[in-house]
Amino acid sequence: MLKVAIIGCGKIADAHAEQIGRLPGCRIVGVCDREPLMARQLYERFPVEACFSDVRELLENGRPDVVHITSSPESHYGLAVICLEAGCHVYIEKPFTLCELDARRLIELAASRGLQLTAGHDDQFSHVARRMRHLVQQGYLGGTPVHMESFYCYEMSQSTYATALLSDPSHWVRSLPGKLLHNIISHGIARIAEFLTTDNPSVIVHGHISPRLRSIGEEDIIDELRVIISECDQTTAYFTFSSQMRPALHQFRIYGPSNGLILDQDQETLIRLPGKKAKSYLETFVTPLSLAKQYSANVATNVRTFLKRDFQMKSGMKCLIERFYASIAENGDPPISYREIVLTARIMDAIFAQLTALKVDSVKTGDPDASPESPRANLCIAGD
Amino acid sequence: MTTASTLTPISKPFIAEPSDLILVTGAGGFIGAAVVEALLDLGFTNLRCFVRATASASKLRRRLSQHSRGVNVEIMQGNLLSPADCARASAGVSVVYHLAAGRGEKSYPDAFLNSVVTTRNLLEALVSTGFLRRFVNVSSFSVYSNRGSRDTTLDESCPMESHPELRGEAYTFAKVNQDKLVLEYANTYGVPYVLVRPGHVYGPGNLPMSGRVGIDTFGRFLHFGGPNPIPLTYLNNCADAIVLAGLHPLADNEVFNVVDDDIPTSRQFLRQYKHSVRPFKSIYVPHAIAYLFCWCWELFSDWSDRELPPVFNRRRWHAFWKKTRYSNLRLKTRLGWTQRVSTAEGLRRYFDACRAENLNA
Ligand SMILES: NC(=O)c1ccc[n+]([C@@H]2O[C@H](COP(=O)([O-])OP(=O)(O)OC[C@H]3O[C@@H](n4cnc5c(N)ncnc54)[C@H](OP(=O)(O)O)[C@@H]3O)[C@@H](O)[C@H]2O)c1
Repeated sequence: MLKVAIIGCGKIADAHAEQIGRLPGCRIVGVCDREPLMARQLYERFPVEACFSDVRELLENGRPDVVHITSSPESHYGLAVICLEAGCHVYIEKPFTLCELDARRLIELAASRGLQLTAGHDDQFSHVARRMRHLVQQGYLGGTPVHMESFYCYEMSQSTYATALLSDPSHWVRSLPGKLLHNIISHGIARIAEFLTTDNPSVIVHGHISPRLRSIGEEDIIDELRVIISECDQTTAYFTFSSQMRPALHQFRIYGPSNGLILDQDQETLIRLPGKKAKSYLETFVTPLSLAKQYSANVATNVRTFLKRDFQMKSGMKCLIERFYASIAENGDPPISYREIVLTARIMDAIFAQLTALKVDSVKTGDPDASPESPRANLCIAGD
Repeated sequence: MTTASTLTPISKPFIAEPSDLILVTGAGGFIGAAVVEALLDLGFTNLRCFVRATASASKLRRRLSQHSRGVNVEIMQGNLLSPADCARASAGVSVVYHLAAGRGEKSYPDAFLNSVVTTRNLLEALVSTGFLRRFVNVSSFSVYSNRGSRDTTLDESCPMESHPELRGEAYTFAKVNQDKLVLEYANTYGVPYVLVRPGHVYGPGNLPMSGRVGIDTFGRFLHFGGPNPIPLTYLNNCADAIVLAGLHPLADNEVFNVVDDDIPTSRQFLRQYKHSVRPFKSIYVPHAIAYLFCWCWELFSDWSDRELPPVFNRRRWHAFWKKTRYSNLRLKTRLGWTQRVSTAEGLRRYFDACRAENLNA
């Protein structure tokens, strides 16, 4: 029986406790939060054996094999070090760490102790994401990806978290290097990182505060981000984060030399885009019909999964945890490669560095709209 | 239509003097701002209004500008999650109206954090001041379980939800735990408290229809309430009750439910809403069918390992959609509360505001 512990009893810890509870062969020996009341509320709502407000007590009394770190991002690194040093495998929620350097250090520490790590990029293990990966691995794209587009949008008005953040000038998210973006974009960036083939892509960033946020006096939170990622003369990618565009997409498009794929996370649909077009006029009939057929097939797949009782909101997380635990048991490869974790952190570092430079620029010039049109902001920072 | 307060201050022997420092948390919120105004109307001159958001602070400042002569209204910005902010807020206060809460939070931890952890921080700060004469904890009808006999009257003697985690509502879970915490502090540290439990507080500023009427989750409005009375209380009536509970000498360590007189049934409310605001189609779901629906949902949620979250369940049906009568007898007899705004007038103002919002949408 694998003994599991959770550190950090906020919103995402609920999802972890629920998904761990769906897996056989493991039990939650303890949950921990600096705030004892928070630890207690999680303990009371889930089958958990004990609750703690001190990490060392949790590690000593619960003796977990695996620890899930679901606390706020700035604490990830320090807590992971403590857990690794105590001999535990560690699952760290996204963002893995605050910077690439910390990510590398953790990976080295884990490797030196023969322990496993994973990052909470659970969207990449949803049913539809697994179907997409399978097709790519089978060569559906016809070669190395030529171009990718990752949309990760965020509806501020729908989120009480965003309301709290916007209304609170001292909210913890504001102290992260990338602020709101830091806490959210890693899902969308990791999707791109998975299919990049080199380790030093260049990154060009444009970011601004939307007029809507400015209208409520917000001057700190960038909520519109566009990124171009490119590997010298090879794969390119666009990343879009937006709080304003509608629909608020969570979509990934990947195009190879032969065919392309569109994954829609919200609809759980995967659409194949065959590179070969129908003859002339037929394209206007045959292709839409084939798309209609594909959408119907996606509905059928979703219904089947639902009836098989495996269509929970966070079933991707269940799969990721399951694979992580399996990799621990078999001492196999972790479900997310360390290269991908580091590359995601590297791209995020580059994004935030440029946004900071942009901000410095706009403060210097006194122009709040200073944009990548200025040569400095356009500077392409290689990710090393 | 006059809305003069029915609380006539000078003649009543309150537990606080007009110049005593009174703290109102959540003062920028829907009810909090009305409580502040009611206190000012009553002649209290030394108020500390605790708000979290900058926007709430400016809104409250604008709203209170007409009251500013001769009174000391401090608008203190902070977060009750910070013990230091709680210490600042508590210094020297004799009565506390605690309205800040995570209302509208969908996640259990977020609701809990902003209702329970905040309340604990505030109480911790208050017990060390030594000035506190009363802590008014604004609770809610949602803490009651109402799972007893078939035809119930809900009053202060009804039990609290024994398993709020099974109600499928983060808000209920948080509010039950908030009440328990206050009782714990009362037992351990002798904190003098009052629990005020309003029904659905309505008025311009809180326009969404009460879930007790029905739900529009599935594209068509499902009318669950039918002949049930809806426990409405108009904003200013509720604010008066909260203020009284904080000042009345006989209120210590009591619970008061707040609900207006002449409340409409769900059917009457819905009919008036459609007539006054906008017409829309609704389907009436009889009580037995609603119960069955909640039960089936609950069973499916369990069977499917929560593919559907258990937001509909039998506990919720009992609390929300079972035919229940509501009593405000204790509020009237112990505190002498009377309804300042009639239900007819309250509904008129509410529907006017809904219509205006509908036109702007
Ligand atoms: N409305 C109803 O129908 C109803 C019914 C029964 C009971 N109640 C209870 O009445 C009270 C007031 O409700 P309401 O309708 O006025 O809700 P509201 O408008 O949402 O007000 C609640 C206030 O709490 C503040 N708050 C939340 N978390 C905080 C924190 N961590 N630190 C400081 N302040 C915080 C918010 O401040 P900011 O806006 O500044 O962020 C908000 O203004 C609540 O306790 C609620 O449970 C309401």
